[in-house]
Amino acid sequence: MEENPLHPFELHNFIPINIGGLDVSINKAVLTMWVVVALVAALMVVAGSARRLVPGKLQSLAEMLVDFIRGIVLDTMGEGGMRFFPLVATLFLFILFCNLVGLIPGSYTVTSQIIVTAVFAFSVYGLSLMIGFALHGAKFLGILVPPGTPAWLLPLMIPIELISQLARPISLAVRLFANMTAGHVILGVLFGLTVSGGLLIGWLPFVFTIAMNGLELGIAFIQAYIFTVLTCVYLGDAFHLHGHDEHAH
Amino acid sequence: MPPPDDPLYAGLGQAVRIGTELLAALIVGGGLGWVVDEYILGSGPWGLVIGLTLGVTAGIRNAYRAAQRWQRPPDTPGKDK
Repeated sequence: MEENPLHPFELHNFIPINIGGLDVSINKAVLTMWVVVALVAALMVVAGSARRLVPGKLQSLAEMLVDFIRGIVLDTMGEGGMRFFPLVATLFLFILFCNLVGLIPGSYTVTSQIIVTAVFAFSVYGLSLMIGFALHGAKFLGILVPPGTPAWLLPLMIPIELISQLARPISLAVRLFANMTAGHVILGVLFGLTVSGGLLIGWLPFVFTIAMNGLELGIAFIQAYIFTVLTCVYLGDAFHLHGHDEHAH
Repeated sequence: MPPPDDPLYAGLGQAVRIGTELLAALIVGGGLGWVVDEYILGSGPWGLVIGLTLGVTAGIRNAYRAAQRWQRPPDTPGKDK
């Protein structure tokens, strides 16, 4: 029996919808995203409705998550960054739950589609540019000149800084997409070996499948975490503009 | 799974970050150079060569920056202010 390890990433349209040549069909990914949104909302609404001083299981889970995200925001942006907390928390919870839901056998990993991660990455980066130009005006272009650059180095430094700025959304998108896709391909290949190996040897890759699933659980969390941290770092850079060098003391 | 505020996560996060940081800058640099070659100047391989060189430089710079952020001791809250 042969199984294409990329097969789980195919999108199957459940309800084909076509508006003016635009394909807005309800497919596996869309359905999974709805499930994820419902899960996150349900967790937060149910956990938040109790408001007990001594939290129950669900409430302490929600409190732990919120406190964790708050820690990231304060760490990277400082007190002023708390105005971005709703955005950052939404991003983190959505990505985390997408990654986790994708680990349930038979479900779909939305974050293994590069278009999804790219939309997130470019929106975050676009937002950071908008904040930068709104707060600092044309001075925001100074982000292309690292502090303390001698004038004769400028023709070299500006293209390098431009590339390193443009690389930000791409590295953000590619990192999440590649990690999720690679992990699921490995799981798919191992499980394919289990099926084709039969009883005699097939149990071996099956044990690895279980081990990989545990590893993927960690990766799901770390990738959501790193996406959130970098979101905060990029927003913070636009917010402060060399802030940690000039206004440090 | 360790609790989410374990400093291990910050370390792991930084570790998985650096590889893609190098790659993304290389893609952007090479891509820009290639576009200049193909569609704007028609300047043979030179745009790609210069673009890749700048891309590698930017990638190493980004990785260096990521490592610098890492250097900050984990127990000092908020570097600004």
